[in-house]
Amino acid sequence: MVRKESPIPVLAIVILAGVVAGCLFAPLIANHNPAEFYLDSINRPPGKEYYFGTDLLGRDLFSIMFYGGRTSLGIGILSAAVMAAIGTVYGCISGTADDRLDAWMMRFAEFCGSIPSILLVLILTAIIPATDLIRMSVVLGITGWFSLARMVRSEVRQIRHSEYVLYARVTGGGFFYVMYRHLVPNCLPATMFAMISNVGGAIAMESTLSFLGLGLPLDQLSWGSMLSLANRALVMNTWWVIVIPGLFLVVTLLCITDIGNYIRKEMNRKCSK
Amino acid sequence: MGRKIGKKLILLGMMMFLLSIAVFCLARQAPGDPLQSFYGDALERMADWEKEAARERLGLNDSISVQYARWLFRAFQGDLGLSLRYKMPVLDVIAPLIGNTLLLGTLAYLTVFALAVILACVCVLYEDRLLDRFICRLGTVFYYIPGFWLGVVLVLIFGVNLGWLPSSGAYDIGKQEDLANRIQHLILPLTVMVASHLWYYAYMIRNKLSEELQKDYVLFAKSKGCTCWETLWKHCLRNIAPAIVSLMAISVPHITGGTVVAESVFNYPGIGNMAVESAKYHDYNLLMADVLITGLVVFAGSFIAQAVNEVIDPRMRETGEIKW
Repeated sequence: MVRKESPIPVLAIVILAGVVAGCLFAPLIANHNPAEFYLDSINRPPGKEYYFGTDLLGRDLFSIMFYGGRTSLGIGILSAAVMAAIGTVYGCISGTADDRLDAWMMRFAEFCGSIPSILLVLILTAIIPATDLIRMSVVLGITGWFSLARMVRSEVRQIRHSEYVLYARVTGGGFFYVMYRHLVPNCLPATMFAMISNVGGAIAMESTLSFLGLGLPLDQLSWGSMLSLANRALVMNTWWVIVIPGLFLVVTLLCITDIGNYIRKEMNRKCSK
Repeated sequence: MGRKIGKKLILLGMMMFLLSIAVFCLARQAPGDPLQSFYGDALERMADWEKEAARERLGLNDSISVQYARWLFRAFQGDLGLSLRYKMPVLDVIAPLIGNTLLLGTLAYLTVFALAVILACVCVLYEDRLLDRFICRLGTVFYYIPGFWLGVVLVLIFGVNLGWLPSSGAYDIGKQEDLANRIQHLILPLTVMVASHLWYYAYMIRNKLSEELQKDYVLFAKSKGCTCWETLWKHCLRNIAPAIVSLMAISVPHITGGTVVAESVFNYPGIGNMAVESAKYHDYNLLMADVLITGLVVFAGSFIAQAVNEVIDPRMRETGEIKW
């Protein structure tokens, strides 16, 4: 089968760059103070003064969108980094260990992976309340590395007896040296896609948790905490409080997925050459 | 066969044991004060010695291993402790909810796979043509829309503005036996569950089918005069049936996780919703029981699907245990 070069997802990159830039330069774009309660204009629909309207606390949604995006994207990237760190180290240990330990480690990862991740998060939030960016990222990171570890392990398994790895070990390279110099660079192409989609997955999970009332509180601006007002917005039928942050969230997720898919296809193409 | 079932049961028991230890330790490490959730505001009016006595009575002062052993001993007698929030045995709190969750979960599970197979067939018949690409694109979009947001938007449209469908609960008060009423309440949660899980599986089946269509027997079937639909239905689908069943086996946790979100959004009285509530109110006994029951359903579901797989595809039996 001939693999065609897949088109670069220009649209996704442009939109994602726009969202990221908007969040980075939030103070320049926001036309109101995101933390201020404008009590005289509660639940205003989108208009000239408040581009995206205001919520039931009188906060300007347009400004929160970009300040909140900082937190949401930050959580996405940080959690994906935690998952990548744990998953890679675990996968490398398991991949280079003897068969018995390897089987047990993989069985453990599979066991944890077979429990619905939302339940794991629920249990974990009992100990680490996910009430700020760092804690949320740690909680999501700890509960999301299982499939990545299995991927890394199967890649490591293929190259662990290759000559350059043996050479590095014979000449006295320690485990972390070998991992850093040889194992990680070799499994990066195959796992890059998973790492990128983890960013999207973490952003979605953050918003779900915050919506359920187990995540960031209202004063920690994020897309999830904006959407935690959705239930009350339903009662007052203020659609913009629900629809606009959600659309931002969904569009960002789709862009990340598009870019991740592009990378996966390119890697497959290069590998099959 | 008997030995095989025994082995699986032992494995199931071990998994539940591990899960219970993990959950128990985590729940006991948690910062929220269990006394707070047991007594609520009354805690502030209690003297120190009263608090101490209450701790002693609830067994909160012993070491964690003693507490676990006591809990396990009672669990085998069917006593999973008191819900600190409802002041009732947890099993009494959970028992009426299990049926609701199983109903929603099973319906979603069956609908997802029935639709996934149909959708995959349609996609393959029009592979790489406009319809296929359109379905693929739409499917991806729906798969990545967070379930809770889709649920809220559906409530906004159909519940609040159009007023066609109820937006929360499993039935209206006093209409518990009314089937039509229950179905009405199931439509929205089911839609969310199906919409957010369907594409993942449809896409996998689609890819499997399109691989299958490259094989020689398909060419033969076509040349002897089978229509495309006949070839797909009679030959290809049968050949990939084991793959679909093993997909169904690994999908149990995924779909069970989906019930948690769907139930919470629609305030549907099920164990997923209860898990979220008990995590919010630091009701550890309830949370533990909830996670354990969900775990049991998930593990048992996976085992059953594996067993079905072995029955319909004898090749699976020979490979025996999973090879790493």
